[in-house]
Amino acid sequence: MNKVSTILLALTALVILSAMVAITFGPADIDSSELLTCLVSTCQNPIANVVIWQVRIPRVLVALVAGMGLAIAGAILQNTTRNPLADPYLFGIVSGAGLGATIANITLADNLTIALPLAAFLGALFSVIIVVFIAKVLQRMEQLLLAGVAVSFMLASITQFILYFGEPFATNRVIFWLMGSLARVEMSNFYVIASVLVVAIVTVIALHRQIDALLLGDESAASLGVDVDKLRLLMLGICAALTATIVAYCGGIGFVGLMIPHIVRQLIGVTTLKLIIGSALVGAIFLIWVDVVARSSLPHAEIPVGIITSALGSIFFLFIMYRTRAIT
Amino acid sequence: MKLPYLVYFLLLISSSAYAELVKERSKPTIIALAPHIVEMLYDVGAGEQIIGTTAFADFPEQAKKIPRIGNYVRLQLERVIELQPDLIIAWKSGNPSDDLARLEQLGFNIVYSQPNTFEDIAKEVRYFAKLTGHTQQGEQVARKFENELAQIKKTYQNKSKITGFYELWSRPLTTVAKGSWPQQFLNVCQVNNPFKPVITPYPQISIEQVLPADVQLIIQPLSENQKEREGFNWQDWTIIPAVANKQIIQPDADAMHRMSIRSLTALKDLCKAIDKTRTHLLAKKTVAKT
Repeated sequence: MNKVSTILLALTALVILSAMVAITFGPADIDSSELLTCLVSTCQNPIANVVIWQVRIPRVLVALVAGMGLAIAGAILQNTTRNPLADPYLFGIVSGAGLGATIANITLADNLTIALPLAAFLGALFSVIIVVFIAKVLQRMEQLLLAGVAVSFMLASITQFILYFGEPFATNRVIFWLMGSLARVEMSNFYVIASVLVVAIVTVIALHRQIDALLLGDESAASLGVDVDKLRLLMLGICAALTATIVAYCGGIGFVGLMIPHIVRQLIGVTTLKLIIGSALVGAIFLIWVDVVARSSLPHAEIPVGIITSALGSIFFLFIMYRTRAIT
Repeated sequence: MKLPYLVYFLLLISSSAYAELVKERSKPTIIALAPHIVEMLYDVGAGEQIIGTTAFADFPEQAKKIPRIGNYVRLQLERVIELQPDLIIAWKSGNPSDDLARLEQLGFNIVYSQPNTFEDIAKEVRYFAKLTGHTQQGEQVARKFENELAQIKKTYQNKSKITGFYELWSRPLTTVAKGSWPQQFLNVCQVNNPFKPVITPYPQISIEQVLPADVQLIIQPLSENQKEREGFNWQDWTIIPAVANKQIIQPDADAMHRMSIRSLTALKDLCKAIDKTRTHLLAKKTVAKT
C-alpha cells in the first residue's frame, strides 16, 4: 500500500471516528451509557431520544456532507480555473443566497420553513447564472472570478437597499442567518445535500482526467481533445448546485472551500482524483469539529459556524500569502 | 351511621385539595424568548412558571436567575427539548425564524408576541395571562394599563405641538419615523417629528437635514447598558433653536424601548419633560412679546 492510500484510509477512519465522537457533545445533559442505549436499542428517556435522533445526528450528518461538499466545490474550482484562490463563495453565491433570504424574510415571513431555503437556493443559482452570462459576453471564461466579485457586490448592495427600507428586524434575521448554522438542520436536509454530493463526486471522478489536462493550460488541454469551455461550464454548474444547496440549508459557511484543498494538496497531491477524495474527507472532519465547538463551547448560547470557519480561514489565507512571498 | 358521613366528608375535602393541586400543577411551564415577554409574564403573576429565557432578560430582579437558552442570534434547541416547556412564547420579529420553525416542527406549542403599539401591550398581557392560567390578574393589569394610557393621552391631547428631533443613534445619525416604536411616544406627548413621513421607520439622516427643520427640542435617549454610547455633539450647532435654548432631554432608553408595562412610566416621564420645554418656550415667547 502506498503513502497516499494509507493517508486516505487513515482519514476515512478519522471521519467515522469524528462523527461518532461528535454525537457525544452538546448542551443537553446526556451521559454516555444513555447515549449508547439510545443508539443501539430503544431509548429509555424520551427527551434523550429526541435530542439524539432529531437534533444531534442530523447535525453531525449534515456537517459531514456540507464539509465534503464545500471542500470539493473549492477543489474543483481551483483546478478548473487554475487559480489557487478560487472559492465557490467568490461567485457571489452567498450574496445571491442573502438576497433570496432577504426577499423571503420580508415578503413570506409566515412560511419561512420552505420559503427560506428555496429562496436562498434560487438566489445563489441566480448569481451564478449572471456570472457565467457576463463571462460569456466578455468571451473570457478565465475572468469568471472577477465577474463573480463584481456580481457579489452588486447583489449585496441590492440586499442592503431592501433591508434599509424594510422591516428593521429583518436585517438582524438575515445577517444572523448569513453567519451560518447547523442548528436548524433535519434529516431531510441531509438526504438532499447527500444526493447532490453523490452526483457531483461521480461526475468529477468520471471526468478527472480531463480536469487534470486543464491544469496544463487551456491550449494543451484543447490539443489533448478537451472541450475546455464546456468542461469548465459543467464543473461550475456542479459547484454552484452543490454550494447553493448547502448555503440554502446552512447559511454562509465561508472559507472551507478555500482552505481545505490547500491542506490536501500539501498532504496528498495536486491531481484531481486524489484532491477530490482527500478534500471530501478533510472537509468533513473539519466541519464536524467546527460544529462541535459552535454548539458546546458557550454555556448558554451557540456560536454561528460561519464565524469560526471565517476566523480560521482568514488566518490561513494570510499564511498562504506569506508562504508565496517566501518562495518568490 | 356517622362513619360513612365522615368518610364522605374527608373524601370531599381531599378531592377538593387534590383539585387545587392539579390546578396548580396544570399551570403550564413556559420558555419566554424575549425580555419584554418575561416582564409581561411577571406582571401577570406567571413569572415563576418561566423555565428558560434568552440573554438580556434582566427585569424584574428575579428574572436574572432564569436559565438562559440562547440569545437573539441562536437558540439552543437541545436545551429547549431538555426543558420540555408546555408553552414557548416567542418574539415574532426578534427571534431567529429558522430556529422557531424547527421547534414547531418538533411539536412544541409556540405562540408569538409582536407588540407594535401601546394597545398591543394590553392585548398581549390579557392573552398571555389567559394562556398561563392568570386570567384575572392579567385583566386587572391590562385594564390599569389602558386606564393610565387614556389618562396620559387626555392630559396632553390639547397641548400645543412643539417640533422635536429624536436621536435614536448618533453614529450614523439615526432618527425615527412613522411605524417605529418611539414615534407613538412623540404622538402622545404632542411632538411634531419633522422626519415622520420618511418611508423607512428608522432612517439615517445627516445634520444638514436637521438644520432647516427648526427643531425646538432634542430627545436623546441614553441607555445604562451601553456605557460607550456617545450622544451626538449638538453643542457645535447653536444655530438649532433647541441647542441655543438648551432644550436637550435625555430619557432612559431601556425603559422607553422595551415593549412592556414599564414603557408607560417612560411615556409619563417623557411627556412631563417635554411639557417643561413647552412651558419654557411659551414663557420666552411671552417675554419677547412684552
